[in-house]
Amino acid sequence: MSMYILSSQEIKQLAQALQASHEVYGPQVDPQTQQVFFDQLDDVAALNLEAPIPSMPVKEILFPQMERILKYNYDSETQSVEMSKQYFEKPKVLFGLRPCDLSGILALDRFFLGQEFVDDVYLTHRRQCLLISNTCLNPFPQCFCVCTHSGPDADEGFDLDLTKLKDGYLVKVGSEKGQAIADAQQWKPAAAHHLTEQKAVVDHCIDLFPEMATDNKAWISRVMNRITTGFIKSETWEFIGDQCLECGACSFVCPTCSCFNIEDTQTACGECERLRMRDSCSFEGYARMAGDHNPRQPVEDRRNKRFFCKLSYSQSKKYLRPGCVGCGRCQWVCPGDIGLPNVVQYIRREITGGEN
Amino acid sequence: MSNCHGNHEQGNCKTTGLCPIVTFPEVVNIDEIRDEIPEVKTFYLSFPNKDVEREFRIKSGQFIMCTVFGAGEFAVSLPPSPENDRFHISVRAVGKVTHALHALRVGDKLGVRGPFGNGFPFEDIKGKNIIYVAGGIGLIPLRSSIVHALQHREDFGRIILLYGARSGKDLMYQEDIKEWQQNAGFETFITIDRAEAGWDGEVGYVNQLIEKANVPVDNSVAFVCGPPVMFNSVIGEFLKRGMSEDAIISTLERQMKCGIGKCQHCAVGRTLVCTDGPVYTYRQIKTLGEQI
Ligand SMILES: Cc1cc2nc3c(=O)[nH]c(=O)nc-3n(C[C@H](O)[C@H](O)[C@H](O)COP(=O)(O)OP(=O)(O)OC[C@H]3O[C@@H](n4cnc5c(N)ncnc54)[C@H](O)[C@@H]3O)c2cc1C
Ligand code: SF4
Ligand code: SF4
Ligand code: SF4
Ligand code: FES
Repeated sequence: MSMYILSSQEIKQLAQALQASHEVYGPQVDPQTQQVFFDQLDDVAALNLEAPIPSMPVKEILFPQMERILKYNYDSETQSVEMSKQYFEKPKVLFGLRPCDLSGILALDRFFLGQEFVDDVYLTHRRQCLLISNTCLNPFPQCFCVCTHSGPDADEGFDLDLTKLKDGYLVKVGSEKGQAIADAQQWKPAAAHHLTEQKAVVDHCIDLFPEMATDNKAWISRVMNRITTGFIKSETWEFIGDQCLECGACSFVCPTCSCFNIEDTQTACGECERLRMRDSCSFEGYARMAGDHNPRQPVEDRRNKRFFCKLSYSQSKKYLRPGCVGCGRCQWVCPGDIGLPNVVQYIRREITGGEN
Repeated sequence: MSNCHGNHEQGNCKTTGLCPIVTFPEVVNIDEIRDEIPEVKTFYLSFPNKDVEREFRIKSGQFIMCTVFGAGEFAVSLPPSPENDRFHISVRAVGKVTHALHALRVGDKLGVRGPFGNGFPFEDIKGKNIIYVAGGIGLIPLRSSIVHALQHREDFGRIILLYGARSGKDLMYQEDIKEWQQNAGFETFITIDRAEAGWDGEVGYVNQLIEKANVPVDNSVAFVCGPPVMFNSVIGEFLKRGMSEDAIISTLERQMKCGIGKCQHCAVGRTLVCTDGPVYTYRQIKTLGEQI
């Protein structure tokens, strides 16, 4: 794997150069609210690689909250139909992904592109997409990527990976696509001491994690095991379920949540479009069938679906890693105090009989 | 991928042999509409694109996602047998999309994606007795398998149908049943819930037919489809008689949106009904740990 050392100036130039052929997305800080958004950059000057974790996961770009996938016109007079596909390929660069968000994309890749069927819509967004990750320097209090092996640095899945060091950015190449970009530039190769420096940066970042995060590390796999083997007491699920307000926020901010709904709607001009929008297993109507039969009526049944999904079979049985990348966003937004780290705590308490 | 009709992105089809229409619906024509029973109509369909029609091959027990243009999509079983049978669906009007379907006329168009799902096991059950148990419109998903089994009559032992509905006019596929009854070696036992004028057949619930039919449990498989109450009492009866949990086969119904294992609406326990099902053995259903 080749490595280079680039100045901040050269990083900007890279973004600039990519803009000629790609839509470039990256973290930027809204000057009014100070919120961080990972969004398309009209001007690469707005790219902020030192910004804190973006409020919303980067999946928005590859798996939008709502998107049109089909358009059709049905004329009942003539009984004729015109139909057209609505998802098109656009080359994109995700510039400066946090390792947790990169891991989130890799989880979506495994889910949408692996298994029996490939999801055409996701594939179309993903196919010509460059991933440039950026080692995390400033974890938030709710972050716990160290527990889920998804940070603070990236070790797989990127085309290029950046780490801010004293004398510039260390750039690691992770793929042929990445190498092709490097070859087109005249970048200075990195030296051995840069790698040592990077290790120190990562170690320093790990030290910044709250004790709870590092402490939970071994517990996550114990909890996963416990959930998978079905040993969680129903009282614990009820306790967790009782706190859920069914707002769906956890699923919408989660980089690995992939559930969606499909709905056909009519526009004012009589045209119809098929929309696909994100959905959440916490909603009451999620599993309801025609005739109002709902096999998943009690809220705890719906709520434990989330934790089965993140901490058991859906991801880990198939891929040997959790479906959670430790970004902590669900902990941040949950009004019911049942973000994933807390649920690990609750189950941990059940296992230890109350003593942590 | 030899018979890929190119409806979707190349490489999307990872299944063996059958190539489903995955994301972009294929247009079908409604050639004929029959009133089946109250609230249920059967729609006979054909593909204007003859290349697709040739490639569109189904397995008994599979389903399609059907688009009613302007209203939406819903999951529906495939009643035709895989061999020379007219392509059709039978649909009960229960909600938004299915009511919109019932309002259509001959010549209207629908969209079709699929076929999806695992289908009934046929190779594994050769040489066995087959017992079909259906309640109400539960006969729809079983029809394909019945016709298929009768087309290969010599491969099986006894073939028995136990069928129950609320009343005489709620019995599905009456013409088919008459035809099947003429087939040597197809035993039918039919019941309705309450006695009514003009009915001289059995009265009572379908589980009572198990005794009447003297159902063999050894070397038999049972395909059971119907409302959950019926399902539970029939399964109870079979288990009491010593039938193995692996030999009882059913289809599960869930809200479905994508049909290809991505939207996760149809998740049951560790499985997704659209790709791992809809056909499950009772042993599997028992371990899913969710309501049926
Ligand atoms: C494998 C399978 C095979 C089937 N085979 C048959 C068959 O052969 N014949 C038959 O008659 N039926 C069959 N069904 C059942 C059939 O799919 C349902 O009856 C049909 O989906 C009803 O659709 P509807 O829109 O008319 O009903 P509705 O009740 O209007 O809606 C159906 C579902 O969509 C959800 N929904 C409704 N509106 C919304 C909304 N705005 N946002 C989100 N969700 C919404 C509901 O919760 C409900 O689960 C089958 C189902 C499955 C899963
Ligand atoms: S479950 Fe919570 S912490 Fe884990 S990836 Fe999703 S939002 Fe982040
Ligand atoms: S099932 Fe729930 S937790 Fe799992 S991906 Fe869907 S919304 Fe997220
Ligand atoms: S954010 Fe919290 S309250 Fe809202 S649906 Fe998720 S778990 Fe329930
Ligand atoms: S219908 Fe979407 S996952 Fe089964």
